[in-house]
Amino acid sequence: MLRAVREIEGGIRLSLNAAGRLPVLRKPPVLESFLRQVYFTGVTASTGVVLRASLLGVLIIAITMDVLDADVDLAVKILLLVVFREVGPLAAAVVVILRSGTAMSAEMAMMRISGQTRALRYLNINLYDYLVVPRIAGVMVATTALTFYIQFLAVAGGLLLSPFIIEASFMELASRLFDLFTPVDFYYSTIKALLFGFAIAACCCYHGLNPPDLTQNAVPKVVTRAVTQCAMLVLTINAVFAYIVFGILFFGLVKATV
Amino acid sequence: MSAQLAPRPSAQLALSYSRRGERGLPIAVPLGSVQRIEFPDAESKSAFVTAVLKARCEPDEELELFGQPVRGLSGKARQKLRARVGALSPIIGLISNLNAWENISLPAAYHGKPPLDVVATITGEVLDAFGIEPRSFLVRVPDELGKLERKIAAFARLLVAGPELAIIESLNDGLSRAECARVAGFEREYRRRHPAGTLVFVDLREE
Repeated sequence: MLRAVREIEGGIRLSLNAAGRLPVLRKPPVLESFLRQVYFTGVTASTGVVLRASLLGVLIIAITMDVLDADVDLAVKILLLVVFREVGPLAAAVVVILRSGTAMSAEMAMMRISGQTRALRYLNINLYDYLVVPRIAGVMVATTALTFYIQFLAVAGGLLLSPFIIEASFMELASRLFDLFTPVDFYYSTIKALLFGFAIAACCCYHGLNPPDLTQNAVPKVVTRAVTQCAMLVLTINAVFAYIVFGILFFGLVKATV
Repeated sequence: MSAQLAPRPSAQLALSYSRRGERGLPIAVPLGSVQRIEFPDAESKSAFVTAVLKARCEPDEELELFGQPVRGLSGKARQKLRARVGALSPIIGLISNLNAWENISLPAAYHGKPPLDVVATITGEVLDAFGIEPRSFLVRVPDELGKLERKIAAFARLLVAGPELAIIESLNDGLSRAECARVAGFEREYRRRHPAGTLVFVDLREE
């Protein structure tokens, strides 16, 4: 219990500290570290893993439409409400947690254990500036880009696949989608993706920099703890955010009474 | 202790250090000198290097840097003092996910001084002095470098920072006799660039 409180307090402190230090991204080595993070989290993930995640979105559409015996209206609503708003950002977050969250927490824990963070301090290099800020900013940008990429692929895949399941043409579905699409959907998923990225990176940085002990055995513990808490954070943010914006929880199963 | 000197006015000293208890280690290093200090054990050596690098001392230690007692210093004043001190020490190892060039240039790129072209010049000259081919050396990460090469990269980083007081800890550790002869050139290189600088070699006393 005490550890959980300490972790929450430490995480909040780290997040606030990093958020206040964003201007440091102008420094060349910090900017380089930021670009490297965007590359590893966003660009390298955009090939195989993201394609598979997008296929998952398409699969969800296919199954749901088949089970619900969907018409054009319902098919487009599923695409927009489930795939675009919920599955896209969540799939991107899962990809980021599994690929970058693990790597980031392990790398930082190794740096801490091998004394490299101490070396940075002796070189008068602030750990937040050099290690935390570029990772948080990089993961936020990359998560948002991945979210758009997955949303595009999943929705496009859904539009292309739907005509084979229901009696509707691609054009019919597409025009209905554009009718229903509002800027709120775009802002909603953008802000959510940014929040996911922030939470994932801050959580991994916190655990990486605070291993339970300074031995090699601490690395797997750090990674497990970071990944578990990242997943919980993302799900919590998703639920709270959906409730705040749309007054619904769990894809509409729970509705707000206020 | 090979560097126990007669007391001097502290303003002329780059460093003065003592520790209470059995291992009382009165050390006084005059400004601009080259000193070799041998410690009886690893713990006292580590305590000394850490105190100097942090510009901070434990309750049983006394430390003055450039004539200024470090006890009770404000954060800013301590930061200023620390900027005048540098070290080649296992405590300040290379960063494992950066290549040699990135390691050497990191502090300069972060602090904005000296400019990177100056860093490149210094690095080129240092590598040249030790007969290392820069192109293949600078792109390698620390794990791909030998012990000597790692020490040379760390030494180049130290020279780029240009500290007024440089601590070189356990220089010969893990090196062959031939390599020890090569790293002996560090003193010459440092002196050439910082004629007024103070250089302190720290080691364990051989029993």
